Order: sequence, then structure tokens, then C-alpha cells
Amino acid sequence: MSPSADPRSLPLRPAVFHILLALAGEDLHGLGIADEVERTSAGALELGPGTLYRTLAELLDHGLTEVRAEHPEGADPRRKYYRITDEGRAVVGAEARRLAEVVDEARARRVLPRTSG
Amino acid sequence: MTPARQGGPLFRLALRLLPRRLREEHGAEMTELYRARLERATGAVARARARIRGVADIVATALATRAGRRSAADGFTGRRRGGGWTMDATLQELRQTVRNLARSPGFTLGAVALLAIGIGVNTTVFTVVDALLFRPPPWDEAERVVHIYQHSDEGEPSSTSFPAYRDMAEIDLFESVGATVPWSARWERGDERIEVDVEYATSTLLDVLGLAPDRGRWFEPALDRPGAGFAAVVSFPTWVSRFGADPDVVGSTVVLNGEAVTIVGVGPRTLPSSFPPFVTDFWLSISSTPLGGQFMVDNLERRADHWYDVRARLAPGATVAQASAAMEALAARLAADFPEFNEGRDISVFAADDIRTHPTSDGDLFAAGTLLAAVVGVILLLACANLANLLLVRGLGRAGEMAVRRALGAGRTRVARLFLFEALILSVIGGGLGVLLTAWAVRLIPTLPPPGVFPGLLELHLDGRVLVWALTLVVATGLLFGVAPALRAARTDLSGTLRDEGRTSSLGRGTARMRNALLAIQVAASLVLVLGTGLLVRSLAATSAADPGIAVDRLAWIRTDLAAVAESPEERRILLDQLRERLAALPGVEGVAATSRLPAQFGGSTTTEVEDYSPPSGTGATELDFAVVDDGYFAAAGLDLLAGRGFGPDDVADGPTAIVINETAARNFWGEVEVVGRRMRGQGSENWTRTVVGVVSDAPVSTLSEDVPPAFYFSERQLGGIAAPYLIVRTADEPATVLPSLRAALAEARPALSADGLGTLADHFGSTLAGPRLATLLVGAFSLLAAVLAGLGIYGIVSFGVARRTSELGIRMALGAGRGRVVRMVLRDVWGMVFWGLLAGLAAAAIVAPRVAALLYGVNGGDPLAFGGAIVFIVAVAAFAAWLPARRAASADPAAALRGS
Repeated sequence: MSPSADPRSLPLRPAVFHILLALAGEDLHGLGIADEVERTSAGALELGPGTLYRTLAELLDHGLTEVRAEHPEGADPRRKYYRITDEGRAVVGAEARRLAEVVDEARARRVLPRTSG
Repeated sequence: MTPARQGGPLFRLALRLLPRRLREEHGAEMTELYRARLERATGAVARARARIRGVADIVATALATRAGRRSAADGFTGRRRGGGWTMDATLQELRQTVRNLARSPGFTLGAVALLAIGIGVNTTVFTVVDALLFRPPPWDEAERVVHIYQHSDEGEPSSTSFPAYRDMAEIDLFESVGATVPWSARWERGDERIEVDVEYATSTLLDVLGLAPDRGRWFEPALDRPGAGFAAVVSFPTWVSRFGADPDVVGSTVVLNGEAVTIVGVGPRTLPSSFPPFVTDFWLSISSTPLGGQFMVDNLERRADHWYDVRARLAPGATVAQASAAMEALAARLAADFPEFNEGRDISVFAADDIRTHPTSDGDLFAAGTLLAAVVGVILLLACANLANLLLVRGLGRAGEMAVRRALGAGRTRVARLFLFEALILSVIGGGLGVLLTAWAVRLIPTLPPPGVFPGLLELHLDGRVLVWALTLVVATGLLFGVAPALRAARTDLSGTLRDEGRTSSLGRGTARMRNALLAIQVAASLVLVLGTGLLVRSLAATSAADPGIAVDRLAWIRTDLAAVAESPEERRILLDQLRERLAALPGVEGVAATSRLPAQFGGSTTTEVEDYSPPSGTGATELDFAVVDDGYFAAAGLDLLAGRGFGPDDVADGPTAIVINETAARNFWGEVEVVGRRMRGQGSENWTRTVVGVVSDAPVSTLSEDVPPAFYFSERQLGGIAAPYLIVRTADEPATVLPSLRAALAEARPALSADGLGTLADHFGSTLAGPRLATLLVGAFSLLAAVLAGLGIYGIVSFGVARRTSELGIRMALGAGRGRVVRMVLRDVWGMVFWGLLAGLAAAAIVAPRVAALLYGVNGGDPLAFGGAIVFIVAVAAFAAWLPARRAASADPAAALRGS
């Protein structure tokens, strides 16, 4: 695969951010990640098979995620499960904080109501 | 289409675009995700959307990865400026285009389907026409091979008598000369009996063609005479399909016509038969002619029969012109030596490259092939015209987007490129599907031809030339329907578009004219095609309704081979009598008779001289079809006796030969039906041996056609019986009901007798119509497709016109114009075009229809019903397609329309 832009550079690309966010909760296989991303982005981001796995491959290359050696209890043994690494957690945390600051700015400018609903 | 185990062919194809590493590591997972999405999608539309999205995402990922760009999901950043033609920019645009198309799956699916059908149908027809007309003969140094034809009584190049072939083989100008005759044989494999295509061929055939057998050997010269044993060479396609490519086939035996025949070899891989692309099953040596019966053996010495196709390889340095001169000399010598057979009979030589099947049938074949190619070419043009319209309309919808891009600095060429890419991507996908469609059709076609349409199976291949043709079509169609919208997009007026969001985007005069011309062309082309279908349908109806002159609704038939159980003619006569009695005693049977051939069936003909009649050919003889029948045949078949008598007990074997002729023969030869006592003789006979004893009404002879040719009947008593008779059975009511009891009666008479076929005469007539029916079905399907396309085009143009004039119509309605008036105004745009299209279509039809009608039975080129029907049909389609959007315009809310402006 040809080298691509470093996935760790902020702001994170939407696909990178949402995949890391999905894995921050639990270890998942590809289909699980796709479903979780759709849920957390309220349907705004439907990752196609190419986009999902190309991004995952990038994250693996940069050590933000890893493939679990053993399977979770009762899981399908043929499936690969992905886990977020400490570095991945740090990166997605940084992006979440950045986004939180952006939301605060939006509130200050009355773009959003002051209380979060 | 159910989700395939591996995610479907398109998805698999798309996966191949990914870099290898990504595909190997994650391909299976990608497929799983894709399939999960498909399974979750409910309904056909959602499934199609999931399919397109999945495939488009893979393609976009592949483009992005290979370009080393960022993930496809992050999309078009718009940071690039200008129209620089760099690899990066191009890939980015491609991605953008793929995503755009995935965003409107309805349009994409429709466009791809249109193109897949257009390109698939064209490639398929090209494959067939190429195989029939253009593929060079697969022979070594084909330029040295010539066809040699003795002429028929009509003076046309025809087949050659075997003695004349021997004379030709003596000539020094030829390195070798070979002869073949196509025939059929009964192959007994265990319990089943299969009718197979065979060719009797000389030992020299492969030397002439410069080919070697695939395995084993070809016939030795010793096998060119009867009495040297039975030998066969199985053709390569048959070896593969019937023998499973068994390497031990050489040396094994097959049972043909009840005799054991040794297989000495497998034919050349490139030679399915002597006349590719047709397929023969076995070549048989000349020494095997006894398999075809004694007359086949006798024929080898008869100069009166012309059965063999002769080809020769010129000696080094010899030319076709020299060969022609030598053959003219031979023809003159034969005319001198055997005037009774060869007076006025020429011999002509053709280079093999100039002949596909036969000089007399090549013209028809070429006409049919080009006609078919023209029809499907028109379909593809219509599809392209429609797509251009669709893209134009879509482009207007996106005028706002384009203007924004231009404002952001995208150059004109770049905007135009987006449209061109869209067209090209659509045509590439459509073309890919079209080729898949062709691959499927090419496998299907050889199983289609009804018996009688093609003598033998067609060997078709998807080869490089066909793929090149498909690629050409893809690029041509892409450009054809991409250029107009692309040019238009490049000309988009910036400020005007941004102001009004493209809703009232003005249509340039040139563009409007082009669209109108496109519409008129569509109307004209579909009118011609629908008319063609009308003529075919009329011809079929005429053929089916024609009075066959025979009791077709009351006749069943069964055929059996008496020779299988009865050796001598006497035994066969007794057996036939028993069979007639048994069948006549069955309930519901009113009469039984025997004949050597059914009506409307190819069969024997003989070169005949007619007393007091000079045929126009100048050879003094004419080729006449005949059948051998028993005493009861005319009554059972329902033929009327117009003069004289039928056959009876007086017509004994050693008496003078009595013949009964049909009405056409009587009128053609002697101008009346009262011709009892007139005489004929076989060509070359000393005396007038055949005397007319009766005249019967006409019945179909070889085919169901308008003009029954002259024909005559022999009595089976005088010709030593019929070895494999058709027993025709006249029934009191529905003939199909007696078929089981016919079969049973046969088995009761002699357990060893088997039915080699049985059915009703109506079905037999029906099966002779299979070819015309297939043609009608094909052309009908194409013309329906064309009419639908024209309808779509009209619909598109009217919708477009309505959309453009929404505000104007709103104002008019607000000022009190009635709905009817609004509808009329909208339609006025279209009717002019439809009118001119019809006029152009009629002009074209006036040229085409007589030519088509000439190929058909029972219609003329000016058939009012076909013309009227076609016009009404096209006008109805046009009216419906135009009325839908017009009605929508009239029922719009005037206030909303005004606000919209």
C-alpha cells in the first residue's frame, strides 16, 4: 500500500475518529465497527467496505489499533477482532477534547443553546 | 439476483482493482461487510442501492489508495484549481464521479441497464455475424484453396457428381482435390438413438485444407472405394461434448445405422465441420457409403446426381484464373462425352476466401446478417440518444453545482471532464455487463436454433476481436452521449446560473435543435423497427392460416425403420401390410397410409426430362421433388384427384412406371390438368419411361411456402417398397390423442420395431415455422425495446420543457388559461418533432419494407395493416409519454409556480 497522510494528525479524519471511538468502547470485528460508527454518527457516516478496511489498515500500520490474538468468549472464531492501543486511545481522546472546545466556542457564540440537551 | 457467496461478480471485479496487499489482508472481511449490508437491505431498491454503494466505495478506495491520497470518505476538498490534467486531479475527479453516480442509484441503474443491453446485444450479434460472414477459414494457406461447382439445371453454381469429381482430381493444376457430402445417420448408444450430422468425405479432404487430425489419423486412400470397411473420424467439438474428450476414442467403434464403424481419428481442432461455424458429428469415409443405403453407393457412379461439394488446393504457382480455364475445358469435354447429363452445364471456380457457405446462399446470409447488425446498431444509437438526453437533463439539474465549481476556480475543461467521466464510467460498467451478457448468450445460442434453421450446431467463441469490438462500442458510446452534456456544462453561464439555481437555465438554440433532432430520429427508427415486426407477424399469420391443401388437423404420423427387422423387400411388404391393418383397427382411426416423406419436409429430388417441355435452364432437364407413396395416401392425406386415377393394384413392379403429378406440375409443363398419358424420364434415359396416370391437388413439398413447386409421386409397389416409411394416420377427431396407441401398436406388431419419431402433422408444420417464429420474436423484442426508448426520450423532452416553463405556465394559468390550453401548449413542442420523425420513418420504411417483405411469405411491402398498426402504435406511445408530464404541468399550483420563478 502506498504511504498516505498520517492518520494521527489532528483534526482527525471523520472515518479515523469514528472507528477509534467505536473501538474505545469494546473490541469489535469489522461489521461491528461499521454498525457502531453508523450509530455514533447518527447515520451521517456509513462506511463502505473499502473505506473501512483501508482506514483500519492505516490504523494498524501506525499502531493505533491491533488485531486481537485470542477471540472474545462465544465469538465467531473466523472473524478478526480489532482492539484500540494506548496510543490510539490517546489520539481519539485528543480529538474529542478538540471537538469539545469547538462545541464550547459554538455555545459562546450562541450557535448552540447553553445547556446540552 | 441473490447475494452471491462471494458478493457477486461486480463486487469481485471491483475487489481486483484494490492493491494486492489490502485485498489479501482484508478482502474477505470487506466481502462479509458488503454481504451483511445486502442482507439487511429490505426491498429491491434498497438492495440495489447497497450494491451500488458497496461497489462504488471499493472502486473509490482503489483509486484513492493507488493515488496515495486520503481516505475516500473524506471526499472532495475543492482545494485544486484550474483544469490541469494531472494524474492526481484526474483520480480525484474519477472518485468524485463514482460517488456522484452512487448518490443517484436510480439514474445509474437505468443508464447502466440501457448500455448493458445495447452493448450486449450488439456484441452478441457481432459474434454471430462475424462467425458466419467474416471469420477467415481456419485453413493452412487458405488463399490456395478453391471451391469448384458444377452448375445446376438453373445455371447456378451447385454441387458436383462423384464421377465428375474424379475427373477434376486428374487435373495437374491441383495439388489435391477433395469431396464431401453432408448427410445424417442414426447413432445407437446403448438404448438411445440419436440423429447425428455426418459428412461422407474423401481421403484427400485434409490435404486440401492443409490441416492435420487432432489425434489418430484421417482416412487412407484405400477407403475411397466401397468394400474397404467402415471408418469414421469424430469431429473435435463432438469428441469433447459426446465422448468427454476420452483419449481412448481412437480405435473404438460406434454403431451408425445399425453397423459397427471404427473411429480412426479425431478431427482438427479448428475444423468443426467442412463449413465452419457449423458442427458435424462424424466424417465417414467413402467406403462407408453403404451405411446410407444402396442408392448412396450407386450414386458414386452416377453422373446424373450432383451431391458432392468439391474443394481443391492449387498447385504451387497455379492461379484461380488458370483453374477456371481448366474447368471450362473439362465442362466442354463432359458435355461432349455425356451430352445427356452435361449439355449446357458449366463448371465454375471460386477462391475460398470469397465463399462463406455457398455462392447461392451467401447473398441471403449476408443480407440477413447486415440487416440484424443494422437493427441492433439502431438500438444502440437510440440508447445513446436517450442517455445524452438524460445526462443533459441531469446536467441542468446540476447547473448550480457546476457554477459553484467554476466560481471556485475549476476551469471549463475540468467541468466538462466531470461529465465526460460520468459518461465513460457508465459505459465502461455497462460495457462490462454487456460482455458478460454476451458470454452468456454465446453459450446459449447454439442450444437455440430449432432444427431446420441451422444444419448442425454453431460454434461461437468470444475472442479478442469481439472484445475489441465491445471496447470500441464502449468508448464510442461514452463519447457519443457524454460530449453534448459536457460541452453544455462547459458553457454554463456563471452569473445567471448562480442567480436562479439553474431552474430556468436557458437552453441554447443549438442544444434545443439537437435534442429535437434526436427525438425525431428516435421516432423514425422505432417506426421502421415496429413496422418490420408488423410485417413478420403478418407473414407468420399468413403462413399459419394458409390452406395447406391437406387435412392437417386430422393427421398424425409415426415413422419406423422396417429394415431393422425385415431383411428382404418381400418381408418388409408383409410387415407394412400388418402395420397398416393394426393401425387402421385402432379406435378413432379412419385411414392409414405410407409415404417416404411428410409434406413440408426436405427429401428426394431427381433430374427429370419432361416430354414437350423445354425448361428455361437450357440443359433440357429440370430438378423435380418426388415422394414414394402407397395406394391409400391421397385419400388419407385429403388430396383431391383432379384428373385420371390414383395408384392401385395394376401398378406392378415390372409394369410401366406410373406417376401422379401435382397440379402445379401439370400447369407448368403442359398448361392444363387434363394431362393423363403425358410422359417424363430420368435424365439420360433412352425412353420415356414414366407415364402420368393422375393429377392431384397441390400440397406443401419441401417447405410451407406460398408457391408449391412442381412435384410428382411414385407408387411404392413399383419401387420395391419403402424401407423407413412415415405412416400417416387420419383420425376422427384430435390426432394427438392416438399417438400413445400408435406407439403401442408398433411394439405389439414386432417388439424390435421402434418409433423413430411420431407426432401430429400440425406440430410438424409448426416446427417448420420455428425459424420464422424465432426471427419474429427477436425483431419484436428489439422493436419493443426501441419503442420504449423512443417513449422515454419523448417523456424526457416534454418533462424538461415543462420544467423549464413552469413559471411561464404559472403566469398563464394565473391569468386564466384553462388546463386544456396549458396541456396543448406543452404538447405543441413535441408534436412537430413526432410528425417529422414519422415522416422520415415512413420514407425509410418505403425503402426497407419491400426488401424485408421479399424475404417473407404472404405479405407485400406496402401492407396497409402493418403500416397503419406501426403508426398507431408509435403515436400512442408518443402521446402517452408526452401526456404524463403535460398533465402534471396543468395540475400544478399557479401560485407555487410563480414563487418558484
